[in-house]
Amino acid sequence: MIFWKNTYNELVKIAAKPRSYIGIGAITLIIGIILFAMFLDGQEFISFITASFEQSLSFEGKILNGNLVAFIILQMLIIHVPLLIALVTGDLISGEAAMGTIRLLATKPISRTGILFSKYIAGCAYTLIMLAWMMFLALIVGKILFGTGDLIALNSNGLVIFKEEDVAWRFACGFSLSFLSMIMIATLSLTLSCFSDNSIGPIVSTMAIIILFTIISNLELSVLQNIRPYLFTDHMAAWRNFFEDPIPVAKILKSCGILILHIIGLLSIAVLKFNKKDILS
Amino acid sequence: MIQYKSILGICIVFISITHLCAQNDAEGYLLGVSGKLKKVNDYSVQANIKVDMPFIRILPTDVKIYYKQKDKFKVETKGIAIVPRQGFDQISTVLADKSSYTAMIQGQETIGNTSTTIVNVIPLSDTSDLILAKLWIDPIKSVIIKSQLTTKSSGTILTEYFYGNQVDYGLPDKMIFTVDSKKFKMPKNIGADPNKSDTKKNNNKENKKGKIYIEFTNYQVNKGISDAVFKK
Repeated sequence: MIFWKNTYNELVKIAAKPRSYIGIGAITLIIGIILFAMFLDGQEFISFITASFEQSLSFEGKILNGNLVAFIILQMLIIHVPLLIALVTGDLISGEAAMGTIRLLATKPISRTGILFSKYIAGCAYTLIMLAWMMFLALIVGKILFGTGDLIALNSNGLVIFKEEDVAWRFACGFSLSFLSMIMIATLSLTLSCFSDNSIGPIVSTMAIIILFTIISNLELSVLQNIRPYLFTDHMAAWRNFFEDPIPVAKILKSCGILILHIIGLLSIAVLKFNKKDILS
Repeated sequence: MIQYKSILGICIVFISITHLCAQNDAEGYLLGVSGKLKKVNDYSVQANIKVDMPFIRILPTDVKIYYKQKDKFKVETKGIAIVPRQGFDQISTVLADKSSYTAMIQGQETIGNTSTTIVNVIPLSDTSDLILAKLWIDPIKSVIIKSQLTTKSSGTILTEYFYGNQVDYGLPDKMIFTVDSKKFKMPKNIGADPNKSDTKKNNNKENKKGKIYIEFTNYQVNKGISDAVFKK
């Protein structure tokens, strides 16, 4: 019972911090700008995508619709959202240490592991709210502005066109998988937060790790090819697999497995470190 | 010397007459085809489109196609449909104006059980998008069995025609389009997975040809179609 009360308190603490709204505000602003730009100039954007086919083929029907806009927004933003999540989750432990409240927190009749997990669940809830807000803006507001219709999914292998009735479950599954990726980021920043006594360190370190791993993922060097499949950044865009036909189930399961392994590994490190953390000095 | 000049003269006259005859015959075949097509003032038809193209995956789509003389054409669909940019109404548009092209018989060929005459149609206008139309014409039914359109904008499109109930109007029940699919370049920051490189895979798909199968049902010929349909 005390665990859930503590989790609720952590949620209240997150809600009370102004930095928690930076991410939500940034997402709202960016999606607002994208929707506005697509509303004004979306057709040109579409012709830019289909240009290489336009010589031979003609695309009939409503290509620019809410589903396509949502898909484009998710592709653009899912790379940047981790940084906004780390702003909050990277502060969960180190923020308490910086303010000196961690000692007070540890006097509660709850184990340190319990404290850590209540913070972790609160961080995951924040991540969920952030993603849900992003999906709401992209999908619901997108559909209100642009209507609904078949989805042209843009893959590096070409175009896959899904029927309108075949799209909703793909977005739901894609959302779930991207949530798993974001939880992975939240876990990483929380773990780093256990090692630091100030907020800046874990947030910047999380960003640095994401950037480093992304660069390694993109380098076409044979030396790095063996490492690549095990980097979490290589699996953060796995949600896109739900927009392929046929769906690469094995690939999705592999991505889920690697992300879950990362989460378990990092959480274990966080528990070990937080339980041994010096809160007296 | 005079003998050589006479032989040369006879040859020139013979070639000219042969050329003229071939041209006249070709125009005769085309008149037969365009005569059938001219019987159609307008039509609407339900069509089922299947696309088999490299880089594109789409389920078969049902659309409604509207056509009205001389060049009004519209595809109506609830979702997204892919149709060839050229090949639907282009031939009838070209053949409608006899003075806009020159034609010549290239030879004979049997397609399936049908013996066809191959007619080359060359537009006279420099600004025409069509460079050359090669038509395989069934001289008995006066319909096009196969066509190969070479255009400035769309490259070469090969079309096969299969006829049923509407053969009297020269309207096919089924068409198969073969089109060139050039390398599909997707903007990396929009379309591509940032952590995925499929360069080798893409290269394998380069320069492949794609096919579009269209089956027509429920023709409504000369029932009258308002111009407003084409403006929507």
